[in-house]
Amino acid sequence: MKRSYIGVITLAIILFLDIICMQLLVHQFFYENYGNVLLYMIIMIILFPVAFIIYKKEKHKGGGASGK
Amino acid sequence: MAEKKNTVRVEDDNYTHNIDRNNERALDRRGFMKTLVGAAGVFAVSSLPWGTIAAKELMGLADKEYPEHKIADIKDVKVGDSVEFHYPSEHDSAVLIRLGENEFVAYQNACTHLRCPVYWVKDQQEMVCPCHHGKFDVKTGAPTAGPPRRPLPEIIVKTKQGSVFAVRVKRYEA
Ligand code: FES
Repeated sequence: MKRSYIGVITLAIILFLDIICMQLLVHQFFYENYGNVLLYMIIMIILFPVAFIIYKKEKHKGGGASGK
Repeated sequence: MAEKKNTVRVEDDNYTHNIDRNNERALDRRGFMKTLVGAAGVFAVSSLPWGTIAAKELMGLADKEYPEHKIADIKDVKVGDSVEFHYPSEHDSAVLIRLGENEFVAYQNACTHLRCPVYWVKDQQEMVCPCHHGKFDVKTGAPTAGPPRRPLPEIIVKTKQGSVFAVRVKRYEA
Protein backbone atom coordinates (compact mmCIF):
# COMPACT_ATOMS: atom_id res chain seq x y z
CA MET A 1 0.00 0.00 0.00
CA LYS A 2 1.37 3.31 -1.01
CA ARG A 3 1.09 6.17 1.41
CA SER A 4 1.37 9.85 0.98
CA TYR A 5 2.72 11.62 3.99
CA ILE A 6 2.99 15.02 2.39
CA GLY A 7 -0.37 16.12 3.75
CA VAL A 8 0.39 14.87 7.22
CA ILE A 9 3.75 16.57 7.26
CA THR A 10 2.58 19.92 5.86
CA LEU A 11 -0.35 19.98 8.27
CA ALA A 12 1.95 19.20 11.16
CA ILE A 13 4.17 22.07 10.07
CA ILE A 14 1.17 24.39 9.94
CA LEU A 15 0.17 23.38 13.42
CA PHE A 16 3.71 24.01 14.56
CA LEU A 17 3.58 27.51 13.05
CA ASP A 18 0.28 28.01 14.84
CA ILE A 19 1.85 27.14 18.17
CA ILE A 20 4.76 29.49 17.54
CA CYS A 21 2.47 32.34 16.48
CA MET A 22 0.31 31.85 19.54
CA GLN A 23 3.33 32.08 21.78
CA LEU A 24 4.55 35.23 20.04
CA LEU A 25 1.07 36.71 20.05
CA VAL A 26 0.64 36.30 23.78
CA HIS A 27 4.04 37.78 24.45
CA GLN A 28 3.46 40.74 22.18
CA PHE A 29 0.13 41.24 23.90
CA PHE A 30 1.71 41.58 27.31
CA TYR A 31 4.44 43.77 25.89
CA GLU A 32 1.62 46.00 24.67
CA ASN A 33 2.71 45.91 21.02
CA TYR A 34 -0.86 45.65 19.89
CA GLY A 35 -0.06 46.09 16.21
CA ASN A 36 1.99 42.92 16.27
CA VAL A 37 -0.80 41.11 18.08
CA LEU A 38 -3.12 41.87 15.19
CA LEU A 39 -0.49 40.71 12.73
CA TYR A 40 -0.12 37.34 14.45
CA MET A 41 -3.86 37.00 14.72
CA ILE A 42 -4.20 37.47 10.98
CA ILE A 43 -1.47 34.91 10.32
CA MET A 44 -3.22 32.39 12.52
CA ILE A 45 -6.58 33.01 10.91
CA ILE A 46 -5.08 32.56 7.45
CA LEU A 47 -3.33 29.36 8.48
CA PHE A 48 -6.65 27.68 9.16
CA PRO A 49 -8.08 27.83 5.62
CA VAL A 50 -4.65 26.92 4.29
CA ALA A 51 -4.71 23.80 6.47
CA PHE A 52 -8.20 23.03 5.27
CA ILE A 53 -7.25 23.35 1.62
CA ILE A 54 -4.27 21.07 2.13
CA TYR A 55 -6.51 18.55 3.81
CA LYS A 56 -8.96 18.60 0.93
CA LYS A 57 -6.20 18.09 -1.57
CA GLU A 58 -4.47 15.36 0.34
CA LYS A 59 -7.24 13.30 1.76
CA HIS A 60 -7.51 10.95 -1.20
CA LYS A 61 -3.85 10.59 -1.85
CA GLY A 62 -2.23 7.26 -1.23
CA GLY A 63 -3.72 4.30 0.52
CA GLY A 64 -6.47 3.72 -1.98
CA ALA A 65 -6.48 1.24 -4.81
CA SER A 66 -8.28 3.74 -6.95
CA GLY A 67 -5.05 5.72 -7.02
CA LYS A 68 -6.90 8.97 -6.68
CA MET B 1 -19.80 -5.93 -4.32
CA ALA B 2 -21.24 -2.91 -5.95
CA GLU B 3 -24.53 -4.72 -6.23
CA LYS B 4 -24.84 -5.15 -2.50
CA LYS B 5 -26.31 -2.57 -0.30
CA ASN B 6 -23.41 -0.29 -0.17
CA THR B 7 -23.10 1.87 2.90
CA VAL B 8 -19.68 3.04 1.92
CA ARG B 9 -19.35 6.22 -0.01
CA VAL B 10 -18.03 5.51 -3.48
CA GLU B 11 -14.99 7.63 -2.93
CA ASP B 12 -14.11 5.61 0.15
CA ASP B 13 -14.74 2.27 -1.53
CA ASN B 14 -11.28 0.86 -1.68
CA TYR B 15 -9.58 -2.24 -0.38
CA THR B 16 -9.39 -1.01 3.16
CA HIS B 17 -12.72 0.63 3.68
CA ASN B 18 -14.18 -2.38 5.45
CA ILE B 19 -11.48 -2.68 8.05
CA ASP B 20 -13.53 -1.42 10.89
CA ARG B 21 -13.03 -3.91 13.63
CA ASN B 22 -11.86 -2.77 17.04
CA ASN B 23 -11.54 0.78 15.84
CA GLU B 24 -8.55 -0.07 13.75
CA ARG B 25 -9.24 2.84 11.53
CA ALA B 26 -10.35 5.28 14.20
CA LEU B 27 -7.21 7.29 13.68
CA ASP B 28 -5.93 6.62 10.24
CA ARG B 29 -3.99 9.04 8.12
CA ARG B 30 -7.09 10.91 7.07
CA GLY B 31 -8.48 11.09 10.58
CA PHE B 32 -5.17 12.37 11.80
CA MET B 33 -5.13 15.09 9.18
CA LYS B 34 -8.65 16.04 10.20
CA THR B 35 -7.48 16.42 13.77
CA LEU B 36 -4.63 18.64 12.67
CA VAL B 37 -6.96 20.86 10.67
CA GLY B 38 -9.32 21.03 13.63
CA ALA B 39 -6.49 22.03 15.89
CA ALA B 40 -5.48 24.78 13.46
CA GLY B 41 -9.08 25.97 13.61
CA VAL B 42 -9.02 26.04 17.39
CA PHE B 43 -5.85 28.09 17.28
CA ALA B 44 -7.37 30.53 14.82
CA VAL B 45 -10.46 31.02 16.96
CA SER B 46 -8.51 31.34 20.17
CA SER B 47 -6.44 34.16 18.70
CA LEU B 48 -9.58 36.24 18.19
CA PRO B 49 -10.13 37.53 21.74
CA TRP B 50 -6.51 38.68 22.00
CA GLY B 51 -6.86 40.41 18.67
CA THR B 52 -10.07 42.19 19.61
CA ILE B 53 -8.59 43.52 22.82
CA ALA B 54 -5.51 44.61 20.90
CA ALA B 55 -7.65 46.37 18.30
CA LYS B 56 -9.57 48.14 21.03
CA GLU B 57 -6.36 49.30 22.64
CA LEU B 58 -5.07 50.52 19.31
CA MET B 59 -8.19 52.56 18.69
CA GLY B 60 -7.75 54.06 22.11
CA LEU B 61 -11.04 52.77 23.45
CA ALA B 62 -9.40 51.16 26.43
CA ASP B 63 -7.23 54.16 27.10
CA LYS B 64 -9.16 55.33 30.08
CA GLU B 65 -7.50 57.47 32.62
CA TYR B 66 -7.71 55.90 36.01
CA PRO B 67 -8.39 58.13 38.94
CA GLU B 68 -5.58 58.70 41.36
CA HIS B 69 -5.61 56.14 44.07
CA LYS B 70 -4.37 56.72 47.57
CA ILE B 71 -2.09 53.89 48.60
CA ALA B 72 -0.97 54.79 52.11
CA ASP B 73 0.14 57.55 54.38
CA ILE B 74 3.85 58.13 54.28
CA LYS B 75 4.18 57.83 58.03
CA ASP B 76 2.79 54.29 57.93
CA VAL B 77 5.46 53.02 55.57
CA LYS B 78 8.94 52.79 57.01
CA VAL B 79 11.93 53.07 54.71
CA GLY B 80 12.56 49.64 53.22
CA ASP B 81 9.03 48.45 53.79
CA SER B 82 6.36 47.61 51.29
CA VAL B 83 2.60 47.91 51.08
CA GLU B 84 0.28 45.93 48.90
CA PHE B 85 -2.53 47.63 47.09
CA HIS B 86 -4.69 47.25 44.02
CA TYR B 87 -4.39 49.40 40.95
CA PRO B 88 -5.86 50.29 38.49
CA SER B 89 -8.69 47.84 39.17
CA GLU B 90 -9.59 45.68 42.13
CA HIS B 91 -8.07 42.69 40.41
CA ASP B 92 -4.64 44.09 39.68
CA SER B 93 -2.58 43.59 42.76
CA ALA B 94 0.39 45.84 43.15
CA VAL B 95 3.11 46.59 45.61
CA LEU B 96 4.55 49.88 46.82
CA ILE B 97 8.10 49.94 48.15
CA ARG B 98 9.69 52.77 50.03
CA LEU B 99 13.35 52.77 49.10
CA GLY B 100 14.43 55.99 50.70
CA GLU B 101 13.19 58.97 52.59
CA ASN B 102 11.48 60.32 49.49
CA GLU B 103 11.89 57.46 47.14
CA PHE B 104 8.89 55.33 46.31
CA VAL B 105 8.46 52.75 43.59
CA ALA B 106 5.41 50.72 42.75
CA TYR B 107 4.83 47.80 40.43
CA GLN B 108 1.98 45.62 39.44
CA ASN B 109 3.15 42.53 41.20
CA ALA B 110 1.66 39.77 39.08
CA CYS B 111 4.78 37.91 38.02
CA THR B 112 5.44 38.22 34.31
CA HIS B 113 6.08 34.50 34.15
CA LEU B 114 2.84 32.93 35.36
CA ARG B 115 1.26 35.69 37.39
CA CYS B 116 2.11 34.63 40.91
CA PRO B 117 2.28 37.55 43.31
CA VAL B 118 5.77 38.96 43.56
CA TYR B 119 6.75 40.32 46.95
CA TRP B 120 9.47 42.50 48.35
CA VAL B 121 12.21 40.83 50.36
CA LYS B 122 13.74 43.50 52.52
CA ASP B 123 16.99 41.81 53.50
CA GLN B 124 17.77 40.80 49.94
CA GLN B 125 16.68 44.17 48.53
CA GLU B 126 14.98 42.29 45.75
CA MET B 127 11.52 41.45 44.56
CA VAL B 128 11.03 37.71 44.58
CA CYS B 129 8.41 35.50 43.03
CA PRO B 130 7.72 32.48 45.23
CA CYS B 131 6.54 30.23 42.43
CA HIS B 132 9.70 29.63 40.44
CA HIS B 133 12.11 31.98 42.16
CA GLY B 134 11.92 34.74 39.63
CA LYS B 135 13.61 37.89 40.81
CA PHE B 136 13.11 41.48 39.79
CA ASP B 137 15.23 44.57 40.17
CA VAL B 138 13.49 46.92 42.50
CA LYS B 139 14.69 50.08 40.76
CA THR B 140 13.42 49.24 37.30
CA GLY B 141 11.20 46.20 37.60
CA ALA B 142 13.43 44.34 35.17
CA PRO B 143 13.78 40.61 35.71
CA THR B 144 17.16 39.62 37.09
CA ALA B 145 16.82 35.89 37.68
CA GLY B 146 14.53 32.98 37.05
CA PRO B 147 12.01 32.39 34.30
CA PRO B 148 10.45 35.86 33.86
CA ARG B 149 11.57 37.74 30.75
CA ARG B 150 9.41 40.84 30.86
CA PRO B 151 9.76 43.67 33.36
CA LEU B 152 6.99 44.26 35.87
CA PRO B 153 4.70 47.09 34.78
CA GLU B 154 5.62 50.14 36.77
CA ILE B 155 3.06 52.31 38.46
CA ILE B 156 3.82 55.98 38.60
CA VAL B 157 3.38 57.29 42.11
CA LYS B 158 3.47 60.73 43.63
CA THR B 159 3.42 62.02 47.15
CA LYS B 160 0.98 64.67 48.19
CA GLN B 161 0.03 65.93 51.61
CA GLY B 162 1.74 63.15 53.47
CA SER B 163 0.26 60.36 51.40
CA VAL B 164 1.34 58.31 48.44
CA PHE B 165 -0.88 58.17 45.39
CA ALA B 166 -0.84 55.89 42.38
CA VAL B 167 -1.21 58.03 39.28
CA ARG B 168 -1.08 55.69 36.31
CA VAL B 169 0.50 52.56 34.92
CA LYS B 170 3.56 53.17 32.83
CA ARG B 171 3.48 51.80 29.32
CA TYR B 172 6.30 49.74 27.95
CA GLU B 173 8.41 51.57 25.46
CA ALA B 174 7.76 49.83 22.17
S1 FES C 1 5.32 32.70 38.23
FE1 FES C 1 6.89 33.99 38.94
S2 FES C 1 8.65 32.85 38.40
FE2 FES C 1 7.07 31.58 37.65
